[in-house]
Amino acid sequence: MRMNKIFKPTLITAITFLLVSCSSDFLDRKPRGQLTYDTFFENEDHALQSVNAIYNIFRSWEFTALPYLGATDIISDDSDKGSSENDALYLAELDQFQSNATNATYSSMWTGHYQAIFRANLAIENIPGIEMDENLKARLIAEAKFLRAFCYFRLVQWYGEVPLITSILTEDQFFSQQRAAISEVYGQIEKDLQEAIAVLPESSKYAAADIGRVSKGAARGILAKLYMVKKDYTKAVEQCEAIISSNEYALMPSYAEIFTSKGEQGPESVFEISAVAIQAAVAGPGASPYNMVQGVRGVPNLGWGFNRPSDNLIAAYEPGDPRRQATVIYVGEILPDGSTKVEDNPDILNERYNQKAWVPKHAGLQDNGPGNLRLLRYADILLLAAEAYNELGNGAAALPLVNQIRKRARGTNNFILADIATTDQAQLREKIRKERRIELAMEQHRWFDLVRWGIAGDVMRAAGKPFIDNKHERFPLPQTEIDLSDGVLDQNNGW
Amino acid sequence: MKRILYTILLIPFFAASLSAQWMVSGKVTDAKDGTPLIGATIEEAGTLTGTVTDFDGSYTLNVNSGNAKLIIKYVGYAMQEIEIANRNVIDVLMGEDGVMLEQVVVVGYGVQRKSDVTGSISSVKGKEIEKIATSNIEQALQGKVAGLHVTPASGNPGAGAVIRIRGTGTLNNANPLYVIDGMITYDASLVNPQDVESIEILKDASAAAIYGSRGANGVIIITTKNGRQKKGGQISLSTYYGTQTITREIAMLNGQQFATAYNALRGQNYYPDPSIFGEGTNYQKEIFREAPIYNVQVAASGGNEQTTYNFSANYFDQDGILKNTSFKRGTFRLNTDTKLNNWLTFGNNLSFLISKSQNGPNVVSSAYRMPSVLSPYTEDGAFTDPTFFGLALANPLADQFYKSNNFSNGERLFGNAYLEAQPIKGLRLRSNFGYDRSRDKSKFFEPEFAVSASQRNGSDRLSVGQSAGNNWIWEQTVTYTFDLGKDHSLTVLGGYTAEERSSEWIGGSREHFPGTVDELLYLSAGNDTTQMNYGGAVDEALVSQLFRVNYSLKDKYFLTGSVRRDQSSRFTEENRTGYFPSASLGWNLGRESFIEGLNIFTDLKMRVSYGILGNQASASTYPSAGVVSSGLYGVFGSTESLSQGATLLTLSNPNLHWETSSQADIGIDASFFEGKLTLEADWYRRLTYDIISSVPIPSYVGSQSNPVVNTAEVLNSGFDLSLKYNKAGTFSYSLGANLSPVHNEVTKLAQGKNEIFSAFLQGEPATHTEVGLPIGAFYGYQVEGIFQNAEEIASSATIGGEKPGDIKFKDIDANGVIDEDDRVYLGSPIPTLTYGFSFNCDYKGFDFSADLLGVSGNKVYNSKETFRFAVYNWEEHVANAWTLDNPSTTEPRVTNGGHNYRVSDRFLQDGSFLRLRTLSLGYTLPQSICEKIKIGSLRIYVSGNNLYTRQKYTGYSPEFANSSNPFEVGFDNGSYPIAKSTQFGLDLKF
Repeated sequence: MRMNKIFKPTLITAITFLLVSCSSDFLDRKPRGQLTYDTFFENEDHALQSVNAIYNIFRSWEFTALPYLGATDIISDDSDKGSSENDALYLAELDQFQSNATNATYSSMWTGHYQAIFRANLAIENIPGIEMDENLKARLIAEAKFLRAFCYFRLVQWYGEVPLITSILTEDQFFSQQRAAISEVYGQIEKDLQEAIAVLPESSKYAAADIGRVSKGAARGILAKLYMVKKDYTKAVEQCEAIISSNEYALMPSYAEIFTSKGEQGPESVFEISAVAIQAAVAGPGASPYNMVQGVRGVPNLGWGFNRPSDNLIAAYEPGDPRRQATVIYVGEILPDGSTKVEDNPDILNERYNQKAWVPKHAGLQDNGPGNLRLLRYADILLLAAEAYNELGNGAAALPLVNQIRKRARGTNNFILADIATTDQAQLREKIRKERRIELAMEQHRWFDLVRWGIAGDVMRAAGKPFIDNKHERFPLPQTEIDLSDGVLDQNNGW
Repeated sequence: MKRILYTILLIPFFAASLSAQWMVSGKVTDAKDGTPLIGATIEEAGTLTGTVTDFDGSYTLNVNSGNAKLIIKYVGYAMQEIEIANRNVIDVLMGEDGVMLEQVVVVGYGVQRKSDVTGSISSVKGKEIEKIATSNIEQALQGKVAGLHVTPASGNPGAGAVIRIRGTGTLNNANPLYVIDGMITYDASLVNPQDVESIEILKDASAAAIYGSRGANGVIIITTKNGRQKKGGQISLSTYYGTQTITREIAMLNGQQFATAYNALRGQNYYPDPSIFGEGTNYQKEIFREAPIYNVQVAASGGNEQTTYNFSANYFDQDGILKNTSFKRGTFRLNTDTKLNNWLTFGNNLSFLISKSQNGPNVVSSAYRMPSVLSPYTEDGAFTDPTFFGLALANPLADQFYKSNNFSNGERLFGNAYLEAQPIKGLRLRSNFGYDRSRDKSKFFEPEFAVSASQRNGSDRLSVGQSAGNNWIWEQTVTYTFDLGKDHSLTVLGGYTAEERSSEWIGGSREHFPGTVDELLYLSAGNDTTQMNYGGAVDEALVSQLFRVNYSLKDKYFLTGSVRRDQSSRFTEENRTGYFPSASLGWNLGRESFIEGLNIFTDLKMRVSYGILGNQASASTYPSAGVVSSGLYGVFGSTESLSQGATLLTLSNPNLHWETSSQADIGIDASFFEGKLTLEADWYRRLTYDIISSVPIPSYVGSQSNPVVNTAEVLNSGFDLSLKYNKAGTFSYSLGANLSPVHNEVTKLAQGKNEIFSAFLQGEPATHTEVGLPIGAFYGYQVEGIFQNAEEIASSATIGGEKPGDIKFKDIDANGVIDEDDRVYLGSPIPTLTYGFSFNCDYKGFDFSADLLGVSGNKVYNSKETFRFAVYNWEEHVANAWTLDNPSTTEPRVTNGGHNYRVSDRFLQDGSFLRLRTLSLGYTLPQSICEKIKIGSLRIYVSGNNLYTRQKYTGYSPEFANSSNPFEVGFDNGSYPIAKSTQFGLDLKF
């Protein structure tokens, strides 16, 4: 009896111990409803999704909003910060060349583009091992390579020598990456783009459902730009001519319409990231903040009013150039959709807006803009070709290219924007540069052009900015990045 | 019955005893709920001297000497023998069963005599928190215990609190663990405060280490009421009804003052005659209300030799002081204990609750912002569109009107059942199964409306969500008490536990409903092309072994040692196992002759403890899994459709493990004046290391966020002091005080990271955490004065662009410009001292009590004042703004954001306060009347909570817990303020 009393509970306890202790699976838990890196990159869907995720970051804050506009337009002579006086002061510092290496612009561009490169590297590293349709596999890898090259091209133009990361780093490599020589970065960009050109289809060869994916033409266009930066005008002409002769592209008849929904992925679009505003309940999965941050401040467009076209830009337009009206929204102007008049906002000094970023009322409400991001237009290619021909001493070949642009801008009004006739290299260079500025104004190309032409200092000082030669041509590496590297990364000259 | 009769018959004999040399008196009460025990016998050992307690449990007895021993007996309770030890007052707590209850405290996986405890444990009895009108046990603990800092999460009905035991121990999750009747949880909101028997706060390593990887932030053990072995049962009813109002209003500019300030801002007479606006609209009056609070509890308890039970049903109904917020809850509880036979006991503690809350929008900040020149409604009764002053303004009344069809319902089944066997003397085997199942639903319908371009909803939408939690725990423990003779006592505890926690959620929404009546508000009635849905789940498991030994020598020297081994599913197999040991020593000095000889102390005990504890709650559930993020859509195609995108965004750290704290504690428990005055004092030093923190890696790696590693260190050290004075008698009273000075300091941050900036306001960090400073220390510019003229600006350090009337900031580095390097440490959001006082007294049936609590040494940042995305109303001090005619040296010119609103000590205020937490006056009907009207007892009372707060802060209250992020504590972003309330109530027992 006594034994029984001890025995029973002991047995019960012992059994229980066994029950709960036998299984080590009990402690192995995996995230629910989510793939992990161990289970990803196993099929075609994963391959596709990993590449889509690279496109995705091109609509992010870093690629479309304040710091990006700061790093491209606001820093240039084309625009001022905009918005109210004290909003986003770091952009004012940038605009006034009073920033230092801690400015958010520099860290945002650096971080955003390396995050995109990370996504591209993941795809490029992992897709080859997936069993799937070989054509699709090759195309996806080519898309990723293009997008990686695009990011490095921006980085090298902004910062000069940058660490060249082409694989996923392991923990022991985190802190040891040195800045690669510019030629090495160029080499990687060229290699990626050449490999992309070899595989990518022309725009028109994409299925309707794939419109917006990068094409052979896009890769040639960026490669042409790289050659322009390298002053390898022969190769630049070669790429531009390949694009022109592909007959994939044409100028849209109306300049203003390029930036409306009609112009989205239109005949003039060489590289364009699509965006779509869906019901407000969906927190912007297809949209970008590009339209919001530049939108007309206050009622009715709910914008923030950043990136204000500068007086300097407005003064640069030839009299009567309709492109000015298509680029700038003024106070008192009726909005392009006729919805309402822009009222004076007392908080904003000299209110003025970038019309190219303007979108009519849309389903995405304020923070969820549907405007596609026109990253490379056919007009840009024509102007590059014109510029390259002129630099090669072939002004005669340049003239029809640049005059195509002027003709389209002129429309039916023959009293304005007369054809350029000079073939004097220096004069024509000036004309082409000016044409390029006007045609592509407020489209985030100006700073790259100024630096590429080597005239950033002269131009910015003329615009009243305290530009310091041999310093301001390049962005500083973000201070945090310098600090973390503990001496591995050196800072750019003057910063 | 026979026993009582017998004792009554003996009374004359006892009363006749003479030749007394020592008088002893006191009160005999039930150890669990403090009810007086009527008719308990008190005898002097070895004599015939004795007495019985009267109707309020009191006794007085003359004994032969101060060295005599008392024997106290009461049916159904354990007999007690107490050395008088030269005391005149001996209050006796009687406990059930064989467990010796001198005064018992609940410890992890067991109970211990208070005198044997070597760890630092504070107890709060259920009675002590009864007088606070709240549904939430966490809020009820505020100010009660030394070392426990409670900040109400908000004034929202049903809201909980942020609890910090002995400082903020980590940069991450610093919440304590709750153990409710043996079931482990992080959320104690289910407990109905009136069901609480006692709450034990395990503060030091010795007490908490038995909870291993979850003990580092302290453990709160809540024990709910059970029945007592009594003939028959008792039914009780208690109820209160009260009203709540806002504690104070924030002084804002009235209509005329706003119009004047607006003119100054614009530099023109926009409003030619500001006086026409007069007082304007006080939006605080519009959004707040006087709100009722109501509670009723019916309980039945009782038992016999075999079974005890306690059943309670509670209904709590609180409207919030902010319109359209409310919380209703019904709680049922059944606790039973049954002796199945002479060696097996079965018991359970089971509670079930259902709740419903209305979650109207928090419009506190939008009301704060509305310019007082605007009336809430237009002449034709529509809501006023305030966007003349900027888009970032919303009419708070419109939000209350359109966004209040927002309800949530909850159900929770929580409890445990156990089987305990005592097969041989000294051996107890216990198997305990705990279960916590919750079901929550939410439903929010927002109609289509348009007040302004920014305050609108383009399409009506119904959003619903459901979540389900299932947690279980199974614990097997073995306790053996060795029989080693009278000088030695040795008890060993061993245990094995397993638990699993999981939750799953699902939700969806649709738009375009055919109507807005409740009958139509189900998803299927909406347009299916607008549907959205989501779902997900998390789960985790823990397997543990625990061991503890308690040894005492001659009831003077005590030793406790414990160790727990935890294996947690949160970490990879290589990192999942941890050992958490602790050891403590106690020395009952009061029983040493050289102390007794001093005749100072009634009792004196010293305690020393040291141990290692863990905090796995700082890690996410799957911190080492490289999760592939989806929803990274690409947009392609002629129709611009979304194409799913997914990839790895962040590199994970497979080597992550829990955070670890080492804690040392030295404590003294002393009592004086025959036990009337008691003192508990502890010094502690808690160092948390391996704190999970993201380590900055170069951005070129491309990881979207930095990997987290075990790296940082935080030190908390301080004292916990409690003093209590009890005076028995016709006029009996007690005074209590607790004080807890705390020093909080970050002692190490991540490698390569010597500072953490956080709490960004307009792009500038408002806190700066670095080694040597408290967590989340305020950081910014120092105001030096107001620029009076252009000359002063020209000759001073400036940021650039300052105008006369702007703030002059201090040029800390004296380099002639105000820049980032001029930002300095401005103060700490963590109080250096928290304290509480209590006073209770009884006189002829009247009882009175008052509790005070407070904190000091902390700063708060009035961040709501600094957001100016539109022209918001200003606080009253702006009426004194600098102008040429009013050359203020403290109040800058009227501006809307910008220079004068940079992060600076302009917005930093003293966070100290002293609050009258409760004030209560009650009357208990005399026993004679109760008997006549055939009731057990009746008490009626009026009480008030938060009736008075002494504070310097200009906001509602300097307490806000709107962020669980320790880097963003102490910011007033416009959280739901706490209310003050007055209640009338009664407690009736049959």
